[in-house]
Amino acid sequence: MTPKSNLVIGMIGALVVAGSWHIEANPGEFVDGLPNLWLLGGEVVAELAEVEYRMVDRAFWSMLETILMAFIGTMVGYALAFPMSLLASRNLTSKWVYAPMRGILAAVRTFPSIMWALLFVIMVGPGPFAGVLAITMYTLGFVAKLQYESMETIDADPMDAASSIGLSKLQIVRFVVVPESASHLLGHLLYMFDYNVRQTSILGLVGAGGIGFYIITHIKFIQYGKTAFFMLVVLITVLIVDWVSVKLRDRYVIKSQRGVVADVP
Amino acid sequence: MVPVLKTLVIMISSKRRSHAQRHLNTFKAGINYAIVGLSGSGKSTLLKLMNGMMVPSRGTVLVEDCKPDQRDRQFQKIMSRIGYIPQSLGLVRNSTVLDNVMMGALPRMRLMQFLLKRYSEEDLEEARRVLDKVGLLGKEDRKTYMLSGGEKRRVAIARAFMQGPRILLADEIVSELDGTTSREIMNLVADMQKDTRLTAVMIHHDIRLALEFADRVAVIQEGRRVMELGVDNDTILDFQSGDSTTQEILEMYDDPKE
Ligand SMILES: Nc1ncnc2c1ncn2[C@@H]1O[C@H](COP(=O)(O)OP(=O)(O)O)[C@@H](O)[C@H]1O
Ligand SMILES: [Mg+2]
Repeated sequence: MTPKSNLVIGMIGALVVAGSWHIEANPGEFVDGLPNLWLLGGEVVAELAEVEYRMVDRAFWSMLETILMAFIGTMVGYALAFPMSLLASRNLTSKWVYAPMRGILAAVRTFPSIMWALLFVIMVGPGPFAGVLAITMYTLGFVAKLQYESMETIDADPMDAASSIGLSKLQIVRFVVVPESASHLLGHLLYMFDYNVRQTSILGLVGAGGIGFYIITHIKFIQYGKTAFFMLVVLITVLIVDWVSVKLRDRYVIKSQRGVVADVP
Repeated sequence: MVPVLKTLVIMISSKRRSHAQRHLNTFKAGINYAIVGLSGSGKSTLLKLMNGMMVPSRGTVLVEDCKPDQRDRQFQKIMSRIGYIPQSLGLVRNSTVLDNVMMGALPRMRLMQFLLKRYSEEDLEEARRVLDKVGLLGKEDRKTYMLSGGEKRRVAIARAFMQGPRILLADEIVSELDGTTSREIMNLVADMQKDTRLTAVMIHHDIRLALEFADRVAVIQEGRRVMELGVDNDTILDFQSGDSTTQEILEMYDDPKE
């Protein structure tokens, strides 16, 4: 290791210590707090044992609402991101187009979804619609970047060949860009939906719909057991969505990327 | 016969090398030309100048009385009738053989036709005819990345012929193939060239193939044609430069061990 990198590591270490002191981080409090987990665990188990039908019902419908919000937001955001990412690809447009487009997308990305949710709750009032809009904006900013980055890695040869035989930009997009990046594009969609189900689960904290509403309400009333029940529902749902998207990815994304979908005549 | 391709003083800006001799390169219509020359002599550049992928910094290139420039409306029409097969072939790996071949017909398709890939019956018929010619009929739905090297070249040739080309530019398309496959492919192109009577300019790595399949062989050196061989009578028809390097090229090609 060079002296320079030693210095950098030393400075980062010093920053972590100084920062911890500034925010009054206390490892002792963490250790002291460990027994609370036991208490919580006991309470949760006790309350889970007597979960009422009403709560299961609520959890089911609010989780379904969450998934739907994530689904709509992902799809709409993705659809909006596609044309914007085409305009933001350095290999498809001129500097005068891609530079401002990248600027806009970077600005959209600066907000985390919960901030978009706050903004839209103010704009359209509380409820799932505000949440869908928040997820849409987040997806737009995030997915467009993934898309234009993978469009920029497309082999230049087929694009050059296509433009040299007189194809228009739109024809090149349809016949070169889309097929050459299709597996990546599908991968991004799955990844984003997966991620959005998690994000949407907390948008209820600011009143933007979904199961987060129950989580924040029960925390406010110090009903940790009920809170835990809803969190458990989120956990299980996320695991299922994760599992399904891994399966889909294996089936459609990985295979087509490695080119193992051979059909023997 | 009218000269179809006329390249006058081709010059591309390059600080290190300057190929600035004034000269005249003319390719006559309907003739099958082969271009040979040492690597780095400017063969690929010459083709790119002819289809407008590159613009000369000095001098003039004329293709069918038009200056090649891909942004020029008038040249775009000509461009769609210039079949261009780069050394890398430029195929879309993840598309089917049919979609790759149909790219040649895209300039004459309507918006919804190509967006939804709803090819017209005439285009499909033409594609089947061309695919039959190159021996790929029945493999239309294959993804291109699954094909062999020889088959990939057939797809690229089919794409070029789907354009209904008046000019075919091909850059070392058989260099990486074995002798038998190279000859098969070259025979195919030669047949199709005769059928359509188009002007072909094909770069060759192997002068033997060039002599075997072309009507005329042009030797390129430092970006310009230094001589032209008429293959029919085996005489050197055009010997613009008698300097020693020209002799060296010929001698290099005479010696099979290079
Ligand atoms: N007419 C020209 N004027 C200036 N530079 C040229 C010219 N033709 C080719 N070059 C330069 O020479 C190099 C080799 O050209 P290239 O066309 O790739 O050669 P080849 O295909 O014969 O191997 C390139 O860097 C190219 O820019
Ligand atoms: Mg070359």
